Amino acid sequence: MADQNEAGRLKQETALQKLLRRPEIGSFTVMLIIIVALSFASEGKSFNALGLKNNIAIIAQYGIIATGAAVLMIAGEFDLSIGSMIGFAGMAMSMMLKWGLPFGMGEATPFTAFIFTLAMTLIFGWLIGTVVVRSGLSSFIVTLAFLFFLRGVTEVSFRLINKSTQISGLPDYKEESWFANLLGGDVFGWFYDLWFMLGGNLNRKGAQWVDGFDARFLWWLIISAVAYFILSRTQFGNWIFATGDNKEAARANGVPVNRVKVTLFMFTAFCATMFAACQVFDTNTSDAAKGNLMELFAIAIAVVGGTLMTGGFGSIIGVVFGAITVGLVANAVFFIPAIDGAWFRVFLGAILLAAVFANERIRKRITGGI
Amino acid sequence: MSDPYLRVEGLVKRFGPFTALGGVDLEVYPGEVHCLLGDNGAGKSTLIKTLSGVHEPTKGKIYIEGKPVKFRSPRDASDAGIGTVYQDLAINQLLSVTRNFFMGRELKGSFGTLRMDEMNQIAHDEMLKIGIDFSDPTQAVGTMSGGQRQTLAIARAIYFGAKVLILDEPTSALGQKQQMGVLKTIKKVRARGDIGIIFITHNEIHSRLVGDRFTFLALGQTIGSGTNSEINDEEMRRLMSGGAEMGDLKQELAAI
Ligand SMILES: Nc1ncnc2c1ncn2[C@@H]1O[C@H](COP(=O)(O)OP(=O)(O)O)[C@@H](O)[C@H]1O
Ligand SMILES: [Mg+2]
Repeated sequence: MADQNEAGRLKQETALQKLLRRPEIGSFTVMLIIIVALSFASEGKSFNALGLKNNIAIIAQYGIIATGAAVLMIAGEFDLSIGSMIGFAGMAMSMMLKWGLPFGMGEATPFTAFIFTLAMTLIFGWLIGTVVVRSGLSSFIVTLAFLFFLRGVTEVSFRLINKSTQISGLPDYKEESWFANLLGGDVFGWFYDLWFMLGGNLNRKGAQWVDGFDARFLWWLIISAVAYFILSRTQFGNWIFATGDNKEAARANGVPVNRVKVTLFMFTAFCATMFAACQVFDTNTSDAAKGNLMELFAIAIAVVGGTLMTGGFGSIIGVVFGAITVGLVANAVFFIPAIDGAWFRVFLGAILLAAVFANERIRKRITGGI
Repeated sequence: MSDPYLRVEGLVKRFGPFTALGGVDLEVYPGEVHCLLGDNGAGKSTLIKTLSGVHEPTKGKIYIEGKPVKFRSPRDASDAGIGTVYQDLAINQLLSVTRNFFMGRELKGSFGTLRMDEMNQIAHDEMLKIGIDFSDPTQAVGTMSGGQRQTLAIARAIYFGAKVLILDEPTSALGQKQQMGVLKTIKKVRARGDIGIIFITHNEIHSRLVGDRFTFLALGQTIGSGTNSEINDEEMRRLMSGGAEMGDLKQELAAI
């Protein structure tokens, strides 16, 4: 049969060739360049004990929401409400901690404040997703509506109940609550202990300088690992890809396309809530402007990480590289005071554009140039 | 002759005021290729979409092995043994062959994880059975030729228990050589003897080559049907052109 030799036409590749063709290779290369350039330009300060902690703090923040945005984009939708959802979740949590639970249910603990907030944000996520799949409207416009709506609700609630659009000076819950500590405390202390034992990580007095990473580092790793596992190893993961690639094809094969999408809108709401919770319990403050523009950073990082704007394709590992790259550059101004912080946005714009072209090339290669 | 696996009686489908199907009858027997012929817009795709649970019929009955059935979703139809290979193939280009093969019906292990190795093996073996030795089922479908995609979609439908295989214009977008490949695949499936095939085509030669039985549609109506031996070439041509006599057409053309 003519077709029988078709398979033979496929060139066998070496392991190295395969590696070089991976979709993450672009974001990986950019990341390496940034790490090396930053180490030199900051005279090592970016990656000393404190520099590493601060860099990872912002990388993890970006990474958490970019993971949510990327998985949703793979399923073919956008969520512009992520930033406002962060603001809303932070407001809800801190107000419950300050003013008590709603409906006169008494004082809030960090745990109950978190659970109540998560319940609300998940309901919003569900609502956004349901509106998108039921109306058939573009998620761009539906979530843009929620961007304004949630930010407005956040400010109004703050003013009505709290009289001010920020809360500061909450007690340091992580001292007593294991739960607050899980979100806002330190993790991987052993890393810095080890560094100290090996003779580094010293402050001016010669004592141990830094004790651990922010807890959001751990949450970022967990969320990324779970997202990676689901996408590559589970039925739901296959449904996510199928939904984003060709919705009608997926539906014809029995994939519950709408359920997949609604679930993923709830997932971005979850990621936004984790972002907010880590912030609230780390700093014991919140204000109505928190999370502003974060939805755009999340989408930009997802794209830099190799996620297709058109859905159906993306890589969590790529998003990890993207978050590291963007986080490092966002923070660079703190380590290299001579540069103007606005260069960050110039850089982000440039790599975003480059990434879009690179992703398009990858898509063409996979689909055989269509 | 055995009983038909699938029988359609007086099927009507309206879209609002527009009657896409105005009472169509059809019988599909195991081990037979039933060609569905007709001009663009005749209602062929609408008929098979109704049979595969995408549309609900406005009127009329569908019987599977003599029992009346109602399909509320494509899932219902595929559970009843109707496997549809759409014109657009319902294939995701960016996904691997295996992930497409099992789309919506993935094999899961104890922790809900995909049994990827097993799925790769099955996808490879099932496609080999009907003609393609595709060595690397982890490759994206985007790199496959049109004929190979057909084979994937057909192998998938058969593996998931299709007793009636519906092929909507499977040869229309292909080159000569690949068209022959698809016809060979149809013959292979027919030779199994347990699967009936509805083959939609514009091509008279193709339908002669593989067809056992023909139904001709025009403007949503059945205008003729019969077995391969009952319908001669002239009759075939007349019905293909929507029921007009060849002579009439000649006159019409001559008048221009
Ligand atoms: N979902 C629909 N809504 C309205 N009209 C439709 C729909 N699907 C098909 N039609 C109409 O029904 C007629 C038959 O179409 P179709 O079944 O696709 O024909 P064929 O496949 O034989 O070329 C066409 O006139 C088409 O415009
Ligand atoms: Mg058609």
